[in-house]
Amino acid sequence: MSLLRLEHIGRTYDMGHVQVQALHDVSMSVERGEMVAILGPSGSGKTTMMSIIGCLDRPTQGRYELDGTDVGSLNDGALARIRSRTIGFVFQSYNLLPGTSAVDNVATPLLYQGVPRRERVKRATAELERLGLGHRLRHEPTELSGGEQQRVALARALVTQPALVLADEPTGNLAVHQGLEVLKLFQDLHDAGHTIILITHNPEVAAVAQRSVHLLDGAVVDGELAA
Amino acid sequence: MSAIELIRLALSRLRRGRVRAALTMLGVIIGVASVVGLVSVGRGTTARITDQLSSLGTNLLTISPSGGGGSTSTLTLDDATAIAAVPGVAAVAPEIQTQAVVATSTSNTTTTSVVGTSADYLTVRAYEVWQGTFLSRIAVDQGLRQVVLGATVATDLGLGAEAVGSQVTIGGLPFEVIGILQPKGGAGFANPDDEVLVPVGVVRKYFVGGTGIRTVGVSVADGYDMQAARDSIAELLRVRHGIGTTDTDDFQIFDQTQLLAAASTISGTLTLLLGGIASIALIVGGIGIMNIMLVSVRERTREIGIRKALGARGRDILSQFLIEALTLSLIGGLIGVLLGLVVSAVIGRIAGWGFIFDPNTIAVATMFSLAVGIVFGVWPARQAARLDPVIALRYE
Repeated sequence: MSLLRLEHIGRTYDMGHVQVQALHDVSMSVERGEMVAILGPSGSGKTTMMSIIGCLDRPTQGRYELDGTDVGSLNDGALARIRSRTIGFVFQSYNLLPGTSAVDNVATPLLYQGVPRRERVKRATAELERLGLGHRLRHEPTELSGGEQQRVALARALVTQPALVLADEPTGNLAVHQGLEVLKLFQDLHDAGHTIILITHNPEVAAVAQRSVHLLDGAVVDGELAA
Repeated sequence: MSAIELIRLALSRLRRGRVRAALTMLGVIIGVASVVGLVSVGRGTTARITDQLSSLGTNLLTISPSGGGGSTSTLTLDDATAIAAVPGVAAVAPEIQTQAVVATSTSNTTTTSVVGTSADYLTVRAYEVWQGTFLSRIAVDQGLRQVVLGATVATDLGLGAEAVGSQVTIGGLPFEVIGILQPKGGAGFANPDDEVLVPVGVVRKYFVGGTGIRTVGVSVADGYDMQAARDSIAELLRVRHGIGTTDTDDFQIFDQTQLLAAASTISGTLTLLLGGIASIALIVGGIGIMNIMLVSVRERTREIGIRKALGARGRDILSQFLIEALTLSLIGGLIGVLLGLVVSAVIGRIAGWGFIFDPNTIAVATMFSLAVGIVFGVWPARQAARLDPVIALRYE
């Protein structure tokens, strides 16, 4: 069974007098253990895709099933629960909590799962050490390089052992060699069996994935062909 | 999320913005400190007023003729004698008063009240003798020209302890000084130490004619009901004055406890008023908290978006911001209580009623500051909780 399945998904924003169709009749599915890139230029609806797949937003048309659950029928609390248990986010701008140490940043998703503090710190520390940041545990985001911040963000996405890692332009803010390092990490994760969706405008980044889904003007152009 | 996690989160947040947190708390600190301080000033004033009124004697009934006093008074010395026989009456002191010049042998003079009374005056009016003795029953019965000086009069005349046994003149007549009273201190309306006391017959004979007397002070024995004693005296006087059951009394009986009750009602209202005014400051402090929390929600929009993406539910965000506001208001409240206690101790010391510690005020002020935190924290917290994660994440 697929981990996630989008059937005829549409997302319309009601801007008062204008209706903006950000996504139009998008269908795709991702199997467990797959690494898929969603590729498209800016304005193609990538961010909206990420929001819907990441359960930050609900589609206005179609059906979205994640890990066997029909997401469209869930309330805000249940969506938060899915984000907490099933999804790990990696953002373009890292989006680490400011003024908060690396270990506390990584421990935050566990906080919302109700894990006790001692265990949170233990697991967060282990995750950071695994990504080679054992010497940066107490550093705050401003004291870390871009590459280190993105690794902290990755550790934060992985600490809950999510079924799906969802990365939005993970190399967008990084220098080339740091970007390559991060992509290497994603490949390692894929090899370790994680399901990963990379959202990017960069075909070179998308090339790391097994297959790419091309978005243009809110619709899938040749999605399943690349498989 | 547990309360401890939330408090830990709030404290770490406040540590990061110490100056802002301190300034925000300042409003609550000032508000709570003024509530605690002003209420204790109110209570101090109340305590002082009731103390002074009690010093006049709490078991005191004052009987006076209604409709004018002096020589036309319907109240007589015989009435006073009769009242002494009423059950429960411990002491009776009739008073006739006039003004006269008192002079010493060294020609120091002062003008003061000359009160003609009985030996019971000391008990009824709750005075104490500092030097010498008070008027004896014999002296009063025989109308001896003896005088007891109030503390202020003794000071005005330059007389000390050695003056007992010396002579002064009152309105030109020589009197023997047999005692000087302890000062009682002013009760606000009159100085009770500015008077001299002589046997009632002497005033009647030399200064004020007629048969009327100005007032009769009655001290009710301990354990007797004031109201019962009062009724008995009223009944006695009505019979003696030949007043029918439907006629109006020609006298009135004034109860010291009534005055006490009235005074404490007034000062209680005053205390409430002061507390009320001070709580305006507290509300302003609360608005300060709301203002800062709203700014904070706006500044931290992105953080809220991140937290939601990481699995925070609306109510996690709501409680996080609410606990932050509560922490601000509660810490501010506790500091305010301490400050208020210091202020009231200082004022109490200066004003002379000492340090009045009232756990109720502190409990109320603390509860009030918590309530301020909730009332003014809920709205910003709801704003935060309702943020759409997609929009919040994109917020720059």
